Amino acid sequence: MVETVIVFGERPSLLVDASGLVAELLRNGFSTSMIGITVSNGDVNEAARYGFDKLYVIEGAVLPDQVSEVISKIFNEVKPRLLIGSATKTGNDILARVSAKHNLPMLTEVLSVSLDGNNIIFERNILGGRAISREVTSKHAAVTVPIKKFKPFEISQKIAAIEKVSPPVSNVRLVSFEEKKKSEVNIEAADTVVGVGRGFKSKDDLKLAFDLASIIDAQVGCSRPIAADLKWLPEDVWIGISSKKIRPKLYVAIGISGAPQHISAVDAKVIVSINKDKNAPIFKYSDYSVIADLYQFLPVFIKKLKEKTIK
Amino acid sequence: MVDVAVMVKASLDANMIRVDSSGKLLIEEIPLVISEYDRNAVEEAVRIKEKFGGKIAVFSVVTWGPLAKRINDTESVLREALAMGADEAYMVTDERLINANPLQTAIALASAVKKTGNYDLYLTGEASMDVISAQIASRIGTILNLPTVTFARAIELDIENKKVKVLRDLEDSLQWIEASLPAVISVTGEINRARLPMLLQIRRAFAKPLKKFTLNDLNIQLLDVGHRRESVRLLMVSRKNIIIEASTFDEVSEKLISKLIEEGVIKPRI
Repeated sequence: MVETVIVFGERPSLLVDASGLVAELLRNGFSTSMIGITVSNGDVNEAARYGFDKLYVIEGAVLPDQVSEVISKIFNEVKPRLLIGSATKTGNDILARVSAKHNLPMLTEVLSVSLDGNNIIFERNILGGRAISREVTSKHAAVTVPIKKFKPFEISQKIAAIEKVSPPVSNVRLVSFEEKKKSEVNIEAADTVVGVGRGFKSKDDLKLAFDLASIIDAQVGCSRPIAADLKWLPEDVWIGISSKKIRPKLYVAIGISGAPQHISAVDAKVIVSINKDKNAPIFKYSDYSVIADLYQFLPVFIKKLKEKTIK
Repeated sequence: MVDVAVMVKASLDANMIRVDSSGKLLIEEIPLVISEYDRNAVEEAVRIKEKFGGKIAVFSVVTWGPLAKRINDTESVLREALAMGADEAYMVTDERLINANPLQTAIALASAVKKTGNYDLYLTGEASMDVISAQIASRIGTILNLPTVTFARAIELDIENKKVKVLRDLEDSLQWIEASLPAVISVTGEINRARLPMLLQIRRAFAKPLKKFTLNDLNIQLLDVGHRRESVRLLMVSRKNIIIEASTFDEVSEKLISKLIEEGVIKPRI
């Protein structure tokens, strides 16, 4: 039996990314017609070629309440089995509003999907990434998917019928808007990352970490207090579940205690931790631990790295 | 005067995971604590009260079992909010709400809020620390049909004009959003630094009112929306946990470097 799904992406690229969950469902033997909804004032012809049967394009909407109104209306017409979106802040917000309107359960940031008869089963992380919750849905549900989690459809010749939609007026007002400052680094794509935490006593002392990073060709990231409270480093290198997630081959955590929000944002082949507190939680999640004062250990470690390694 | 309702979760403490000898997760043994961002929401409410006057009511739904024990845990969490400066507390507790999903929790919260009065502002954290669903503000705002702004990093009230300005913190941008009161706002951890209550305030919190509601008290039915949590399993992290030790830092460094070369994550100088 064919069930309909609606996929929403706040940008065309996110729409295509989120539709990867539908591709995964098809591989599991689910058959579906797929309706896309996105927000764009530009050309959406490319996005329309990723397996959608129909594509609604909301023009000129920027606020969650406007977008959720439009999705809600389409939801009422279609009554899809699943409403799928990107697990971005805006995606979660918008889908939660639609879910509240239609009494849908919503599963945020699902990591896997499988079928069992008429049930669709999802898994998601809970407890700061330390446990997996397996959740069963037998009726309509909303889910959001992390970016780049599921492989999208191949681009095809079939182009979805495109319908442009004007959004209703928002019940709040956008007063102003600014892009966040971007540092030069893309920490999420880095092969080697050095993380700095509260073990550093001053901003100037971070030089030690940058020296180490330059020798092993690493990007420097940080725990929450360094970016959010002390502002020693820009927020786009803050490693945590509500900010950047990293997948390097090597992660060297220096003076980081290891809060669950930090640990669960690190998916590294090898983790090295340097901390003077032998009870720091980070050591439980490390392959190699050095229990030492970073101020004494790093200068020696840097000197030896210079002698024994190349970039 | 600004009356504020704050939604606070008694959240499983992810730092205190309990497992049995077979490695099975013992959820009923994990302590409950005030969810971190909800603490920031309480702090923001207290700052608003200090500036403009008004009262603060805090609301919580018990969603973890076993019920009797979790009622006590949730009471402690609510007392903590009262010690920080909230005035009254309400708990929705019902056997049927154990393992409730965010949809059921939001309906219970919205009903409890409606039963106790009208507020100018409804605050909660951007997400709970245990299940991180990030839905409650958006759901409550939709149920109550109020302007809703998520991920607030700053809140500026304009009482005369009954408006609020919110600095919304998104992945790559910051937005200033203006909404008319009453409004629902979720806060991020960056909005403030929450105070630690003094001993005297903790003592005084025990004299403040704390009321419990069941689903029947609120006249609501639990919706069966075809969703249940089937199981929770511990994610096994298999790390080597090798402590590199030696009598000098030179030797520690050499040992560590040779390990990292073996792992193929740094390149040796030939």
